[in-house]
Amino acid sequence: MTEEQRLAEELRVRTYSLFRRSLHIRTFDSGSCAVCESEIRLLASPYYDLHRLGFFFTPAPRHADLLLVSGAAVRAADTALEKTLEAMPDPKIVVAVGACALGGIFAEDELVHGRVDDVVPVDVYVPGCPPSPLALLHGLLVAVGRLEEKVRGLSFDLREQVAS
Amino acid sequence: MLWFLRGLRKGVVTTRYPRAAIDAWATSLPSPPAFRSDRLTLELASRLVKSCDSPALQIDAGDLVLDLGFCTGCGICRAVGGDAVVASGEFELASRDRAALVKRIAIGGTE
Repeated sequence: MTEEQRLAEELRVRTYSLFRRSLHIRTFDSGSCAVCESEIRLLASPYYDLHRLGFFFTPAPRHADLLLVSGAAVRAADTALEKTLEAMPDPKIVVAVGACALGGIFAEDELVHGRVDDVVPVDVYVPGCPPSPLALLHGLLVAVGRLEEKVRGLSFDLREQVAS
Repeated sequence: MLWFLRGLRKGVVTTRYPRAAIDAWATSLPSPPAFRSDRLTLELASRLVKSCDSPALQIDAGDLVLDLGFCTGCGICRAVGGDAVVASGEFELASRDRAALVKRIAIGGTE
C-alpha cells in the first residue's frame, strides 16, 4: 500500500466513524424490477429491524448520509440520480445493490448504462438478485466500517476449502 | 417499547450485529455457486459458461472466472455441472472493491 493509499484509507475510516452511531439512508431506483426495493423495505420490518443498528430511511436526500442505488442505471434517470447525490451533504456513501446495479443483467446500450458506477462513484457493492435483507444489512455495516468484508477470504473452490 | 426502556436505562439504543448466530436458513437462500475444481474439466467449464444467462462465468487463461457481482444465484450452473458445482451458501458478499468480487477457479480435472 502506497503512502497515498494509506492516507486515503485513514481519512475514509475517520470520516466513516461519524456514521457509526446513526445513519440516514435514501434509496434510489434507477430502473430495477422492484424486487431489490422489496428486500430493502423488509429491512424496516420487526424481524430485521435496522433501526436497532442506528439506520433510518429518509425520503429527503438533503437529510441522507447514504444513497442505496438499485437498478441498471437507465439513462432517463441520470439527471435525477446526479441531482440526488449532489443534494446530499458531504461526507456521503453510495452503495450499489443487486446484480443489475453491478452490471450483471443489462448490457450497455442507448437506454441503459448497465451499471451504476458509470453514472456515480460507488463505495460499496452488494451482489445478489435480489440481495436478501441479511446481505443488505451486511453491506450497510461494511459501508460504515462496522463489519469487515468477508468476500476477500472466500475462494469458491471447494477443493481449497477442504485442503485448508 | 423494551428497546426504548433499555435505551433510557443504559443511554444506548442501538445494538451489536449480529447479536446471535445468523439464522441457519439464510445459507439456503439463492447463492452463487462453489466449484470442485478437481472435477472441473475444460469441456464442463465451457458448458457452464454457455448455460449462464449473465456474464458471471467466463474462461480466462485456463481458469474459470466467477464474477459474484454478475451472478444472480439462479442455479442453472448447478443443474448443468452435476457434483462439480454446489450452492456456496454465501450471502454476505458486500465489498468496497469491485475486483474482490471476481474469483478464479483453477480447472483441475482431466477429460
